Amino acid sequence: MNRLWKQFKQGLIYENPLLMLMIGLCSALAVTTSVSNAIGMGLAMTFVLLCSEVMISAFRKTIPESIRMPIFIIVIAAFTTIIDYTMQAYFPALSKSMGVFIPLIVVNCIIMGRVEAFAYKQKPLICVADALGMGLGYTWVLVGIAAIRELLGNGTLAGIQVMPDSFQPILFFTLSPGGFLVFALFISLNLWLKGRMQKSAAAKAEAKNQEVAA
Amino acid sequence: MTKQYAKLGFILAAFSLVACVGLSFVYAATKDRIANQASVQLQASLKELFPEADAFKDVTADLGGSFKGATLDAAYLVERSGAPMGMAVKASGNSYGGPATLLVGVGIDRRIAGVRVLDSKDTPGLGYNAMNPSYFVDKATKKTFPGQFTGKALTDGFAVKQDVAAIAAATITSKALTGIIKASGDAAQAYLEHTSSVGGN
Repeated sequence: MNRLWKQFKQGLIYENPLLMLMIGLCSALAVTTSVSNAIGMGLAMTFVLLCSEVMISAFRKTIPESIRMPIFIIVIAAFTTIIDYTMQAYFPALSKSMGVFIPLIVVNCIIMGRVEAFAYKQKPLICVADALGMGLGYTWVLVGIAAIRELLGNGTLAGIQVMPDSFQPILFFTLSPGGFLVFALFISLNLWLKGRMQKSAAAKAEAKNQEVAA
Repeated sequence: MTKQYAKLGFILAAFSLVACVGLSFVYAATKDRIANQASVQLQASLKELFPEADAFKDVTADLGGSFKGATLDAAYLVERSGAPMGMAVKASGNSYGGPATLLVGVGIDRRIAGVRVLDSKDTPGLGYNAMNPSYFVDKATKKTFPGQFTGKALTDGFAVKQDVAAIAAATITSKALTGIIKASGDAAQAYLEHTSSVGGN
């Protein structure tokens, strides 16, 4: 249980796919112009990541190494298409506003990376923890970036006007340079968080050591 | 060696087969709902453009096809208690990121009754703002990009940045959509004139 929790935490902060591994950035910068898009994209990614990791982990012994890549792509593409159809059928507005980025989950390197580096070598249960950690780690960063960009760039949050009418939207934040700026701020925020957590963990370990020595 | 390759091919085929079967089930389960969503959206938009109408007669057969750079996908003669009160044209054309689909309503008074953007493939946050109901080209009057056409006479100017306010940083989208709107409006007007002259004589 402890091991699962640890793996889950890895994706949230220590090995956050966007802020630490820095993969899958292109679509992340593109969809973060509005909070609802960010939530939709984050959850869609988490679903595909979870299903693909578990599936590939379960069949890892029957997948020959020489053709593992095409098989990964088949599995990932199948789950991506399932989520694409489902969103078109049940969340048409969200599906419309995400446009081409849902089908593009197939080639997102976070999924390919986790499947290749993790799921192909591990048991299904720990893959669930890894996929949820990575997926939610991806989602919180997307939603955070999108909240800042949408608020400053359009004066709204999830489509609802929150800034007073006198507020002049700063178009810069909607455009890609603004995306890069906010993204960089999140990287430094994450580094700070990570440093603090490591320090407190080290302090705890030291206190334990002293206890043992005493 | 050949045997080895055959085995690999077989495994790959097996995975593909399972994925295809799975997908065909998902497709069958969602197909009707997806088609339904599109027609529900169209009906809702028609009602929004002409809240007083009680019948939308499909006249696509008389009007469909290519017209001034736009493709007219569907056309409806809008009626109220049997008397025509305008036209609604669903038209598509090329915009910045791919085809855009619009629904343009034209009143019997030769003015645009309203415009709805049904689909756009343009850049999210820029050209895509044509579909965003909370993006205003004119903040003071809270007019959206398609909203500014409501009430505009077809004889007015349609030059972007002079007569039509453009979406910020999306001039190509603004020009493309304006072109589709103008083409649909002209097509609708021509049809209305044709039918009213036939009806009048």
